[in-house]
Amino acid sequence: MKLDTSGLNSIVPFSGTDDGLEENIHLAVSSFQLPRTTDFDGFQKKAVEMVKPAKGTTTLAFIFKEGVIVSADSRASMGGYISSQSVKKIIEINPYMLGTMAGGAADCQFWHRNLGIKCRLHELANKRRISVTGASKLLANILYSYRGMGLSIGTMIAGWDETGPGLYYVDAEGGRLKGKRFSVGSGSPYAYGVLDSGYRYDMTIEEAAELARRAIYHATFRDGASGGVASVYYVGPDGWKKLSGDDVGELHYKYYPVVPSPVEQEMVEIPVS
Amino acid sequence: MSRRYDSRTTIFSPEGRLYQVEYAMEAIGNAGSAIGVLARDGVVLVGEKKVTSKLLQTSRSTEKMYKIDDHVACAVAGIMSDANILINTARVQAQRYALAYQEPMPVEQLVQSLCDTKQGYTQFGGLRPFGVSFLFAGWDRNFGFQLYMSDPSGNYGGWKAAAIGANNAAAQSMLKQDYKEELTREEAVQLALKVLSKTMDSTSLTSEKLELAEIFLSPSGVVEYHVFSSEALGKLLTKFGVNQAASSAE
Amino acid sequence: MESVFGLVGDGFAVVAADTSATSSILVHKTNEDKIMKLDSHKLLGASGEPGDRVQFTEYIQKNVHLYQFRNGIPLTTAAAANFTRGELATALRKNPYNVNLLMAGYDKGIGPSLYFIDYLATLHKVEKGAFGYGSFFCLSLMDRYYHSGMSLPEAIKLVDECIMEIRSRLIVAPPNFLIKIVDKDGAREYAWRESIKEA
Repeated sequence: MKLDTSGLNSIVPFSGTDDGLEENIHLAVSSFQLPRTTDFDGFQKKAVEMVKPAKGTTTLAFIFKEGVIVSADSRASMGGYISSQSVKKIIEINPYMLGTMAGGAADCQFWHRNLGIKCRLHELANKRRISVTGASKLLANILYSYRGMGLSIGTMIAGWDETGPGLYYVDAEGGRLKGKRFSVGSGSPYAYGVLDSGYRYDMTIEEAAELARRAIYHATFRDGASGGVASVYYVGPDGWKKLSGDDVGELHYKYYPVVPSPVEQEMVEIPVS
Repeated sequence: MSRRYDSRTTIFSPEGRLYQVEYAMEAIGNAGSAIGVLARDGVVLVGEKKVTSKLLQTSRSTEKMYKIDDHVACAVAGIMSDANILINTARVQAQRYALAYQEPMPVEQLVQSLCDTKQGYTQFGGLRPFGVSFLFAGWDRNFGFQLYMSDPSGNYGGWKAAAIGANNAAAQSMLKQDYKEELTREEAVQLALKVLSKTMDSTSLTSEKLELAEIFLSPSGVVEYHVFSSEALGKLLTKFGVNQAASSAE
Repeated sequence: MESVFGLVGDGFAVVAADTSATSSILVHKTNEDKIMKLDSHKLLGASGEPGDRVQFTEYIQKNVHLYQFRNGIPLTTAAAANFTRGELATALRKNPYNVNLLMAGYDKGIGPSLYFIDYLATLHKVEKGAFGYGSFFCLSLMDRYYHSGMSLPEAIKLVDECIMEIRSRLIVAPPNFLIKIVDKDGAREYAWRESIKEA
């Protein structure tokens, strides 16, 4: 009987697609998979970005006469793949403050939760709610301390405090801007178009909500990475309230109902002579 | 009773005293004295050298006066080994400030930083206070000429005329009596020498036992620190008539 | 694109800056104040990454205040500029701040002064200086029309010419500018030059 020597053979290394994750050196023994790259930092960054959902987004918020309107879509995507159509991109920090989510979903969620904790602790320590200014600065300082470490966050902190309505834009680069009107995410240029043209300070809550909804809808129409549901929140003196959540597909048919168009030319059978 | 409270610097006695600090001040009471007088156009420092032995060769031209920076000098009374440490930290502080701000350190800040060091040794465990008092003379653009006195506790204050070391109480009261506002530098030197001659334990005032330094502005507005040579000092003593056996302190 | 510039006149110094906060192609706002008041007689105009700009200028401002509380006297503009340079230089080899600064101040007995500090911690005392894309246009303008001892109207006219040049020649020109001055009476806002109004 022939001796079985197969156990002495080297194991053929796993060969897969050329996605940069495999090593191209065929070692005699099996080994860790090494990325096939000279720029490891760059590769790592790209790899992290690749698996981060919620990259494409449209969020917006603005201050008007009655308070603040915050609105967002609900799509999460990983590259071309839509991983969810029901993401909660407006995060409820406390009854008087909302945060919006653009960039990495986990990063946003984690740091908003973290901010929620800090705001609550502030409330317990000082017997009063934290100001929007204070809360946004808290978040900005944290993000600034992590700058360059790969966090991906573009957020708006909106709320109502002792000074009235407040709105700040905060991003992972450590930027923090106070303003009346912001939009963040891949769909933001589209949203800005609708928002800027339709904005008036003295809108009613209904008008403001409709403007926000419309801006999100138009952004989702043009931006492939935005879609799902257009949620609209309102923050007033008594805290925030969710006003609506509409499927943008349905909104499309609401804004642009199908009208039966008259047939320009009808094909008719040509009678065979 | 007090035995329990004087072995450590960090502990108050029941009467609210810090014995170690007081002992440090006592040590300075035995040291050669120094007097500083603030004048309209400068600051004058005089010090009494305790000549311990004729055989002793001094390595420096001055042993009581030290230049901290171009615009600050100090006179010392107390334990010289302690003083050397503090003078070094003061010089380092002055240079650090110059490094950070590219301009001379304000005099009071320099004094304060040194006194913070001194204070630390009256509070933190296991260490004894510095047995040194200082007179600081300096000029800065904010407050012009200034004279400060500090003690081992880390207390300091600005003075028009001040004395440290042996018989400082007597000297202080004489200064209080004889000080006039708006003195010239020369008048200030005269006053300081007169007071020193009267309060010194030794009977005669000679240039070998003395040190005299001035801080003033040159005509071009630059701060200058000038130490009198033994000869110049001798001439001054003759001029003011204080080199004769003076009446001892009361 | 960012533009910060300033000049020293007779008894005063001017700092002007655009007021746009942008990220890539997007303008987030057009009324962002990039000229910080350090203390009663000091201005600090800054350009650079928004995070670094705000964090660093606030840090400097707080330290200048701390100095005044501790010592009862204000820092001179020269001292503050050298301090700022030092902080920038120590950070440079650790976690560098990407900010370029123009510090203007007025000191009793010294008069007005302007300091140029770039993100590599270079410090220059200057009569006129500029940072950002706008600097290409206003540096030459200031070289041509600046003279020492300019009166306030002359200086403002030059600043306005710089702003107009940036608006007309820079492809990504910011719409709005803010001008601040500092003189013996202190540092203050002088004027806005707005071509669009924030809602």
